[in-house]
Amino acid sequence: MLAAAVSRMLSDITPKPATSRVLVASCDYSNDATFEIKKCDLYRLEDGPPVTAMLTREDGLKYYRMMQTIRRMELKADQLYKQKFIRGFCHLCDGQEACYVGLEAGINPSDHIITSYRAHGFCYTRGLSVRSILAELTGRRSGCAKGKGGSMHMYTKNFYGGNGIVGAQVPLGAGIALACKYKENKEVCLTIYGDGAANQGQISEAYNMAAVWNLPCIFICENNRYGMGTSVERAAASTEYYKRGNFLPGLKVDGMDVLCVREATKFAADYCRSGKGPILMELQTYRYHGHSMSDPGVSYRTREEIQNVRSKSDPIMLLRDKMVNNKLASVEELKGIDVEVRQSIDEAAQFATTDPEPSLEDLGQHIYSSNPPFEIRGVNQCIKFKSVS
Amino acid sequence: MAAVPVAACRLLRLRAAGAEGHWRRLRGAGLPRAFLQPPSADADATQRREVAHFTFQPDPEPLEYGQTQKMNLFQAVTSALDNSLAKDPTAVIFGEDVAFGGVFRCTVGLRDKYGKDRVFNTPLCEQGIVGFGIGIAVTGATAIAEIQFADYIFPAFDQIVNEAAKYRYRSGDLFNCGSLTIRSPWGCVGHGALYHSQSPEAFFAHCPGIKVVVPRSPFQAKGLLLSCIEDKNPCIFFEPKILYRAAVEQVPIEPYNIPLSQAEVIQEGSDVTLVAWGTQVHVIREVASMAQEKLGVSCEVIDLRTILPWDVDTVCKSVVKTGRLLVSHEAPLTGGFASEISSTVQIRKLRLKKGN
Repeated sequence: MLAAAVSRMLSDITPKPATSRVLVASCDYSNDATFEIKKCDLYRLEDGPPVTAMLTREDGLKYYRMMQTIRRMELKADQLYKQKFIRGFCHLCDGQEACYVGLEAGINPSDHIITSYRAHGFCYTRGLSVRSILAELTGRRSGCAKGKGGSMHMYTKNFYGGNGIVGAQVPLGAGIALACKYKENKEVCLTIYGDGAANQGQISEAYNMAAVWNLPCIFICENNRYGMGTSVERAAASTEYYKRGNFLPGLKVDGMDVLCVREATKFAADYCRSGKGPILMELQTYRYHGHSMSDPGVSYRTREEIQNVRSKSDPIMLLRDKMVNNKLASVEELKGIDVEVRQSIDEAAQFATTDPEPSLEDLGQHIYSSNPPFEIRGVNQCIKFKSVS
Repeated sequence: MAAVPVAACRLLRLRAAGAEGHWRRLRGAGLPRAFLQPPSADADATQRREVAHFTFQPDPEPLEYGQTQKMNLFQAVTSALDNSLAKDPTAVIFGEDVAFGGVFRCTVGLRDKYGKDRVFNTPLCEQGIVGFGIGIAVTGATAIAEIQFADYIFPAFDQIVNEAAKYRYRSGDLFNCGSLTIRSPWGCVGHGALYHSQSPEAFFAHCPGIKVVVPRSPFQAKGLLLSCIEDKNPCIFFEPKILYRAAVEQVPIEPYNIPLSQAEVIQEGSDVTLVAWGTQVHVIREVASMAQEKLGVSCEVIDLRTILPWDVDTVCKSVVKTGRLLVSHEAPLTGGFASEISSTVQIRKLRLKKGN
């Protein structure tokens, strides 16, 4: 799994130029280091995840590269949106990288993830290339949903989107967990929703079903403190989202520390896999951008607050400091990764802006799964598209 | 900004005395193609993204309601809400993000003016919002609920159809939630895609007990919204979101009412009746003037305004005159409200023929 993930990332990188930087001999680095991580608050649990985490140099570089890729991909999406290559709605997740990378690190590729519309990070960690993500954002045919889904509707193997109606994905996640239990394959489903969606009724329904049927479902509340522009205190009677499962055990996790997220996810996944039933995780995280590209993000929070989080809890910075201070990597090496990531993102963006849009014939397809094909009309009454699947 | 309304049309040809020769003439003129090419069709239209367009056509300044002010659609809605809260001390406005003014600025300034116990935010829970609104209305207070986009109204569908619509009937008129009004941005906007563009009026048309209203302009919106709020039945008021800024006209400052269940004949004609609501009215008006100019066809344009209960008489009277009916709406064709209109008109026509 590790090799696959590493090779997947390496395939995104352009070949190094002839004047390559000098690779420092790896014997100057430690192979691994152990860190103390924040203890998770527990609800209805005797024991929680460990308070120390071991990070190997290899994993550290991998997490760093992944988080940096997500960060730069989101910033590139911001740029493309302002240049009007991306239209419609675009919800960016920079600041929350540790959640995505940490969650992926705690599970197997054969496990399942479903989330809401702030999904670009998961698309990447679940295996989609930056190219296919950016091409989907710009609505081109090489996009992961063939250009027809856009920012909110991206899917890949074992990743069920990308859902526009918040809260609606949670019962779906419980259903996926039921399938895992039924097939007896020891897989789990991470069902993720935000602090705003946590107040939707159907989430309580999903908690109940998961508990009654003992489903291997990890409910994860990505608490970035604001549901669009509404702070959690104003929307929720209880902002302790990890306790909102009532009869479900819960964990509160520091979502800005990738190791904390990883350990908590491993703990939760083991809990589910051992047949103990569903569990709830709250990831305390933060988004730098506003709710979407139409939201400046500063009318309901101060710039000082954003700056504060950036300087004290930025997930990439935290990992970089951990690795450098414990001799897992050097500053130059990480800077080198930054440069490579930037290059690969620029290349992907170049591709995403030049790939052709889906043909008009594709527009009407896949409405039903049926034979024979039928005609549907488009915007202009005289132009009909064929729906085939 | 070009709009992308997906128009579903039902074109009915009904026999009327003297109309047949005219119809054949229209057919010979290559009616479908000529009708639907916008005047500005480019040679390279096939390479660009296909868009249809509309131009908002303001109505002349109304003189009978006192002083007017230039307002766009969201300002007209704010004005109507302002009038309601001023007149009715039990009126409250609630919904997601309404306190700061709403995502479409329809409630700007109201919280400052009337207080935070009359204009307040709800959590993210449509079913809860409507259910809560029904509860408020049942006690007699005036509840004005906002559902942030019509696409999100479906969790509340059960509350609307099973609770709100049937309250009066099932309690034998002991209770009712008539003072509930649900407002929601509606219709395509160009970049909304699946979940910010829907027109769900047809789903609600299938439910007796509620009223469904769609305005075409700021002046209409304020009058119709005030009528909905004062109407003693639960009402759903869909506001075409693409018109929030695009539609600007002179709107009276004082409150006024436009009656519900009354369609408006915007333009008289003799050859064909065109019926639409919301944004599509402006497309149809343009079509009518194109038809007049290019084909010499005189169109009668009707804005339905209230979808449920709809003004059957006005539409049928018009069709008796012209002999032809075309209904156009943004929502999907199958089961769209045009099918209800077309079947009712045909039944009425048959009855008329039989001399009933």
